[in-house]
Amino acid sequence: LNAAPGRAPRQRVRFLPAPAPGGGGAVELVAARVPVLADHPLVRGPRFKKLKIGAGHRLDVKASGVFVLGIGHGNKLLTDLYNCHLTKVYIVGGLFGKATDDFSDTGNLVEKTTFDHITREKLERILAVIQGTNQKALLMYSNIDMKTQEAYELAVKGLIRPMGKSPPIITVVRCLQFALPEFQLEIHCLHETQQYLRKMVHEIGLELKSSAVCTQVRRIRDGVFTVDDALLRTQWNLQSIQEAIRNCQLKVETELEKTL
Amino acid sequence: RRGLGVAAGPPNTRQLREAEEAAPVFQYAGKTSRRKDRVFVWGFSYSGALGVPSFVRPDAGWKKPRRIQTTPYRLETEEKISSAACGYGFTLLASNTRDITKVWGMGLNKDSQLGFQRSRRDQTKGYEYVLEPSPIPLPLEKPQQTRVLQVSCGRAHSLVLTDSEGVFTMGNNSYGQCGRKVVEDEIYSGSHLIHQLKEFDSKVVQVVCGQDHSLFRTKKGSVYACGWGADGQTGLGHYNITSVPTKLHGDIAGVNIIQVSSYGDCCLAVSDEGDVFGWGNSEYLQLASVTETTQVNVPRHLPFKIGKVKEAACGGTGNVVLTEEGNVFVWGYGILGKGPNLIETAVPELIPPSLFGWSDFNPDIRVAHVRCGLSQFAALTNRGELFVWGKNLRGCLGTGRMEDQYFPWRVTVPGEVLDVACGVDHMVSMVRSF
Repeated sequence: LNAAPGRAPRQRVRFLPAPAPGGGGAVELVAARVPVLADHPLVRGPRFKKLKIGAGHRLDVKASGVFVLGIGHGNKLLTDLYNCHLTKVYIVGGLFGKATDDFSDTGNLVEKTTFDHITREKLERILAVIQGTNQKALLMYSNIDMKTQEAYELAVKGLIRPMGKSPPIITVVRCLQFALPEFQLEIHCLHETQQYLRKMVHEIGLELKSSAVCTQVRRIRDGVFTVDDALLRTQWNLQSIQEAIRNCQLKVETELEKTL
Repeated sequence: RRGLGVAAGPPNTRQLREAEEAAPVFQYAGKTSRRKDRVFVWGFSYSGALGVPSFVRPDAGWKKPRRIQTTPYRLETEEKISSAACGYGFTLLASNTRDITKVWGMGLNKDSQLGFQRSRRDQTKGYEYVLEPSPIPLPLEKPQQTRVLQVSCGRAHSLVLTDSEGVFTMGNNSYGQCGRKVVEDEIYSGSHLIHQLKEFDSKVVQVVCGQDHSLFRTKKGSVYACGWGADGQTGLGHYNITSVPTKLHGDIAGVNIIQVSSYGDCCLAVSDEGDVFGWGNSEYLQLASVTETTQVNVPRHLPFKIGKVKEAACGGTGNVVLTEEGNVFVWGYGILGKGPNLIETAVPELIPPSLFGWSDFNPDIRVAHVRCGLSQFAALTNRGELFVWGKNLRGCLGTGRMEDQYFPWRVTVPGEVLDVACGVDHMVSMVRSF
């Protein structure tokens, strides 16, 4: 970053003595634009000594996926994005038949159960119930008076969201794959932690009268940032970062304007 | 293998895997486990209408009686309940079994709307409040062959429909709503009389109770009515009492009616072609689309351009219909479900499907049934979710709060809701467990 051409030095108008056009020893003051010495690169030193980088929503050690970072001035945008309360989308993989103490497949085994009575239909029924109860929680924690006309209009459009602190709420759950004993879910949620999603997988197992552990948690979308915008490990260089920032700027601005 | 005198370290991967494989496997549900049918009740419980005696007379002396049950509460029943109906402070549950006991009732019994419930203290008197689902003895000719198809409850009378022995009526008959001649100064409390109605043009397939009148729909598609008619709710062309079920004419003569509905003083009928007919009270703009009068005593066709109607339900002041596409339309007066600004309308208004859970992620959610209480509405989706809205009289909506609900709100029931019956201040639902 420091090797890139820096800002041009400031210019200042100074009155410098110059020999008069007439000749002789007389000295005249002529106005001239001169670069300020304080802006000289040798005086100022390298432009960037350290960078302030802030992180967006937390991501577990055992989870993977999109992780939003803000650089420099972007940190202020991060707080604004947090206040937008946009949903995040996860792909959660689960395995029936086991129950562990930390709800993932690397924990200590608590119990093993049979799972051959589970069908995709039963799973989808449980997911519908989860969606229903979370829908109610969505309306309750949004702190809008249910008796007003605006509450009704927002509910029709589906725009009611908790705009403050709230417990984790799941807005959409879908079953992507189902091959006993494994299954995969797509979960859209707000204010959650990855451990809460693992606990949700465990509770789905309990509801189906069996047990389940979570094998994989992967965030594929965080507000406006999707996997397509994310940079891979091989792309962590200055060029790609600058390009990514440029591509996302417009999206972030429109989203912030829409909500705030 | 650990030798003696060697400290035990953390178990390595191989030991963990072996321990895991050796662990016993538990089975909680087999492949042939069935889903169970359950009954959930909620609303005003002090009349005994919910069927839970501990709400009215608590088991322990220090406990306070629970007047209102604001969230669904499971009711234990002896048999699988196939039909339920809520009246004004009482409930009837019916099962389509061949056993001798087919119908149970609980709640108010001051007019013997639950039949004669012999009191244990005094064998000659009957109970005036029944706190538990108690069997109702029906005078059947073949008690071990007849099945009860449907029950319906009005303000102080009830109707029981059987498959081969006609309709049984009990309760208050001061307006002829039980289908028998009105007896002057008859005492209805503690009465053993259960009347049987058999003479209709064909088999009766649906019975509906309004507040003080009764409607019968036969297989041929004709509608019979008896009871109070001062608002024209009997639809027979006059405003007098009718004590014998008489066939209705007017705009429904010759039309094959597939569903009738009533709860207050207004009635709606749906034909097989999707047309809606209405008669009765119109003080709340229920029939204002065809007439300015406030009482209509002949069935009139309601020319609504909302598509083919599948089901209709009448409340005290508001009506709701469900079309073939799964759209819900409401009209009338009261909390209609479109926010606090819509108080009354004479023309049906659509309730946006997104309020019932329809969205881009779930495009196949559709409303399957609609039901009406006196001032509440209930809708069941094809996924088994129950949505309620309207006036929350004594907690009857089941939302857990005591405030009125101005747009459809989901009721959390642990199971798939198959059917719901709405009353004045309580509701009963038949639910299948997951």
